[in-house]
Amino acid sequence: MTEPSHPGKTPADLTAGHTVRRYDRELAKLRGIILTMGDHVVEQTRAAVAAVVEREETQAFRVLDREPQVDYLSLDADEEAFRVIIRHQPTAVDLRIVLALSKIAAELERAGDKAARIARQALELAQPGRGADLLAEDLQVVFRILDDEVCCMLERSLHAVRDFDVAQAVEIFESEPELQDAAASLRQRFCQGSQDGLIPHQSVCLLTSAHALERIGNHASNIAEQVVYVALGQDVRYRNREILIETLRHHGY
Amino acid sequence: MSTMAEVIEPTAGTISAADLASSQHSRATVGDVTVADPRMTCRGVDVWYGAKQAIKGVSLDIGKHEVVSMIGPSGCGKSTFLRCLNRMNDTIDGCRVTGSIKLDDVDIYDAGLDPVPLRAQVGMVFQKPNPFPKSIYENIAYGPRIHGLTNNKAELDDLVETSLRKAGLWEEVKDRLDQPGTGLSGGQQQRLCIARTIAVSPEVILMDEPCSALDPIATAIIEELIDELREHYSIAIVTHSMQQAARVSQRTAYFHLGDLIEVGETNDIFTNPKHKLTEDYITGRFG
Repeated sequence: MTEPSHPGKTPADLTAGHTVRRYDRELAKLRGIILTMGDHVVEQTRAAVAAVVEREETQAFRVLDREPQVDYLSLDADEEAFRVIIRHQPTAVDLRIVLALSKIAAELERAGDKAARIARQALELAQPGRGADLLAEDLQVVFRILDDEVCCMLERSLHAVRDFDVAQAVEIFESEPELQDAAASLRQRFCQGSQDGLIPHQSVCLLTSAHALERIGNHASNIAEQVVYVALGQDVRYRNREILIETLRHHGY
Repeated sequence: MSTMAEVIEPTAGTISAADLASSQHSRATVGDVTVADPRMTCRGVDVWYGAKQAIKGVSLDIGKHEVVSMIGPSGCGKSTFLRCLNRMNDTIDGCRVTGSIKLDDVDIYDAGLDPVPLRAQVGMVFQKPNPFPKSIYENIAYGPRIHGLTNNKAELDDLVETSLRKAGLWEEVKDRLDQPGTGLSGGQQQRLCIARTIAVSPEVILMDEPCSALDPIATAIIEELIDELREHYSIAIVTHSMQQAARVSQRTAYFHLGDLIEVGETNDIFTNPKHKLTEDYITGRFG
């Protein structure tokens, strides 16, 4: 197995062990904010999809009510990142952690926006005369498969952030084709809405929701890229995915 | 762009086994110790103070027009190594230096080489400003005069002015050149010492914590000056301030217990060091 750039140190140690222990606490606090944001976004996504599939108007309102929480947490994350930079002038892995967590906060904030967008589609669908009937059973299944795929990616990305675990990040990269397939399959069905008895307005709302879900999955992938950046010091954005996965697997991740 | 494999795997430097053979306990340096256009070339340098080995088989190039910073905890040997580069260690009883140190392919430890002109070619600026107890003018003129670098008073005047200008001090002292150098502020005194070093036309300037006795403003002025001096000279600087190393140098060398642990581009060292000891030191996890 190839050593990471910090041989002898486990990923979980990355934020700890400073001579100035306050530094450890401040980095841990920053990461804690990000993980809390992530948990909120997963919850919001599940609730928003349930609102669409089950026509749960109340759930949709709840998602929209809670949306600002994620935004406020992203402000807290920025403030904490600034504080760490000002106080400690981080270098090496610490610098990568602060930069990456700041970017991850932005990814999660956007993912939270997508969950709210899905909730708004649920409310659109619930409008009188806009096809308030439940989705066909098999369409619900396809939608839930996409939801599960996305939430699983997001949860896994948060686990990866918890330990800066490259192996988990690789699993997320590997699941991208499944996400794309599930999203493509849904898109195709909505474009042929008449088959499922959908009126055009329903098809548009569902298509918008599916697209937003797919984008949340993309945000999870972007978070995984930041995990690799922290752990290995390599910026892997825009790298060919197949080659990247193969290289990382080859190195034992 | 480097491949993932290249970057993930720490690279052993380009030191040959023969280079390292002179020292039994030295560790292989991570990173490339060589540069394409070296001014000074050090190979397998060992330094002993009596029976105690202070430097273990260090190999490092100092390139033309570059600033190399040397960082590491107290007692790691960075200042000892710096002092080897102009034979300042010759003045210490019981100090023994082995290995090869060349300035433009000339072995500076050659028995026939006079260290006095060497110290003009490889000048040194110390931690505490140490102007001579003479006038500002004489502080600068002294070196060129004893090395016979000028033929008459007019040439000497020109050299004094040029040196003070290069050190960024001329405008501040041009009207009081006859006043004592010791009457200047700490930052001005340090720039006076830099001007004094420049006056004897060095090729390399060694700086041993040149800003540690200065306030942030004087430090910023010296750092700006270092960047300007790089155009004409090679500079090796020892500093305890990692932010300073990151600001002023193109390459950084990390020393630990007499070993050169890692050397590399300053950006790489401060964003993605390859050796755990380097990482622990620069992130404040040392000790």
